[in-house]
Amino acid sequence: MKLITHNMLTSKCMKGVTVGYPLKIQAVDVKTTEVDFNPEFISRLIPKVDWNVLCSAAESIGYLEDLPKEVTENYENNVDFLKKAHRVLLEIDIINGELICPETGRKFPINNGIPNMLLNEDEV
Amino acid sequence: MENGHSRKQGRKLNKKVKKAQHIVEKQTGITCTNNVTKNLVICNCGLVNGLSEDIIYHHFSAYGPLEKIIMITGESCAFVSFKTADTAELAYRNINGKLNLAQDDKPLLLSFVDRLPENSNCTNDLPSGLTVIDNFVTEEEEELLLSLVCFDEQENSSTLKHRQVVHYGYEFRYDNNNVDKDKPLLHGIPKECNFLWDRLQKLGYTDNFRPDQLTVNKYQPGQGIPPHIDTHSAFDDPILSLSLSSSIVMEFRHENGSHVPIFLKQRSLLIMSDESRYNWTHGITPRKTDIVSLESGLKVVQRCTRVSFTFRKLLKGECQCRFTKKCDTYLKNCADELVNHSASQLEKIHVHEIYENIADHFSDTRHKPWPNVVDFINSFDVGSVLMDAGCGNGKYLNCHKNVFKVGFDSSASLINLCQEKGLNVITCNCLYIPFRDESVDGVISIAVIHHLANSERRLRAIRELVRVSRINGNILIYVWAKDQCKDQQKSSYLKQDRRNRKKDDLPQEDKIQNVTVKESNITLPIHINRTQFQHQDVLVPWKLKDSNIDDKSKSEKLFLRFYHVFDEGELEDLCKKLDNIEIVKTYYDQGNWCILLKKLKS
Repeated sequence: MKLITHNMLTSKCMKGVTVGYPLKIQAVDVKTTEVDFNPEFISRLIPKVDWNVLCSAAESIGYLEDLPKEVTENYENNVDFLKKAHRVLLEIDIINGELICPETGRKFPINNGIPNMLLNEDEV
Repeated sequence: MENGHSRKQGRKLNKKVKKAQHIVEKQTGITCTNNVTKNLVICNCGLVNGLSEDIIYHHFSAYGPLEKIIMITGESCAFVSFKTADTAELAYRNINGKLNLAQDDKPLLLSFVDRLPENSNCTNDLPSGLTVIDNFVTEEEEELLLSLVCFDEQENSSTLKHRQVVHYGYEFRYDNNNVDKDKPLLHGIPKECNFLWDRLQKLGYTDNFRPDQLTVNKYQPGQGIPPHIDTHSAFDDPILSLSLSSSIVMEFRHENGSHVPIFLKQRSLLIMSDESRYNWTHGITPRKTDIVSLESGLKVVQRCTRVSFTFRKLLKGECQCRFTKKCDTYLKNCADELVNHSASQLEKIHVHEIYENIADHFSDTRHKPWPNVVDFINSFDVGSVLMDAGCGNGKYLNCHKNVFKVGFDSSASLINLCQEKGLNVITCNCLYIPFRDESVDGVISIAVIHHLANSERRLRAIRELVRVSRINGNILIYVWAKDQCKDQQKSSYLKQDRRNRKKDDLPQEDKIQNVTVKESNITLPIHINRTQFQHQDVLVPWKLKDSNIDDKSKSEKLFLRFYHVFDEGELEDLCKKLDNIEIVKTYYDQGNWCILLKKLKS
């Protein structure tokens, strides 16, 4: 699971959960894979990302590296910034671990890179 | 005891009384005594023999003021309590063995008792949430209010079996005990009533309460209304009832047996709130007089023609009360839950578990993306976020490199296949998509929603797709069509029939097998593959070749997938139930009904 995916995930569909965001990450295995860098793609993606959540997620698993905590002005033309964003958003993969609902503590396992967000009938 | 009869008659009466006393003691546990007390029991006549409080009052109060009359449900005895022992004794002497009110005109048999039965069911404690405000309106105001209503001429008036009614604001329908919330009447509550709300607020009883429905009832003496609870889903809390022209006793009853008669004086206002509104029945016994307990003792009140103004406020949304046993909203939701539970069981057994079993084989047969879906994906700008809701083996997650695509499916086996291809996927159900509102630019749902087993769930899935989409985002939905041969053109699904059926596409009804799905308590027909669908809810067979090498017989395993195949226009109708989308286009594509939606607002 990439951090861009984590940036969108919530447990709000659960009964009794109102926001369910962001999900806490308990990472056991983290892998980095190289992904082709496309500056236009990344700069269009950035405004859709909750940057604070991205930073704290990266930090919580020890992969913040040198990512600025705020989106730089004119980032579209800042290749260095775009590359850092590219790395955190797309190249870090959580292979095993858990996502944890911030309100109920419900754990969603991540196995083989796949978060399992299936809910039981009594949880919805 | 000297009672004026001849000795013989006296002995005979005493014998009868003794026998009757014995019965009373057995029935009620109350001890009869020969000592004079202020309490009497009528040993041989009660409610079951047609004796009423009125009759007792009429005959007994002639000897002195009464304190209490207690009738016992289902028993042939009754208790009368006088203010003093002297008056009780006077009544005893004059009535015992003389007043022919018992069955077959036999005389009443009396006895003194040491105490009255603990009438725990009938109390003077008001039901919780009930308030009565005496003299809520003045005589002038009463007159004004009465002048507003004309029972005979008004368009909304009708004569019920036991009374006349007129409605304002909305008509209360006695066939379903509810109102048509979409059909307001021409006349709202007369504005002359407005002073009532201000007064209520000033007195601190309600907070800005403004009813929008008024029912005026006219009860002639002898008329009443059966015990009832106002339909929970119809009206909000509280319900107000103003008694005009006459006083009356209204009876409140609880299912635990409690019974509270409440004297509603002329010009009083009754406020039914909380438990008294949701959990107690209220009604008016049809009779011409009421017996009321006052400081000075019991009193008979003659009923006159009573006009009641019942003010209610229509409930928006569902009833949220905690008195679920009496709540129509709760009970209806329970019934829906059950249907939903069956539907979810059906999906579990005949969709989810089947894909787990056939995932590899299924994936081998699903290579070619459908061109119109690919065109849709290619229409997205660089850097868009696209969700594939029900991505299967991920055949659409490879298109358009410059869009971030994330897919999900409820089948872990299919999702594993996606992961092996390096796609971004998660496992989840399309009814509960774990994505934030408005987090993606576009959504595709290809051949997914037809696996949901009732229309409420299909609608819920569409609602979820719209929810996660950004405003102005596009949502493309494909579902299998019931009609596989539109405009004389056979779909590729039909064309793939190896036996190349030419004319006789329709399988005969008697060849269709049915399967009962125990867990859902439902029987479904098994569809014959490569033929036109005969039913909307069907089980479609999937034949899986058993690749077990040890097994030489090479058996075929049959899996039945549940489908709801869509009629023309059905998908559109479902989408029209959402008020935050625009239907961009609908089309038929190779045996599927397809719809493109645009999200307009949150």
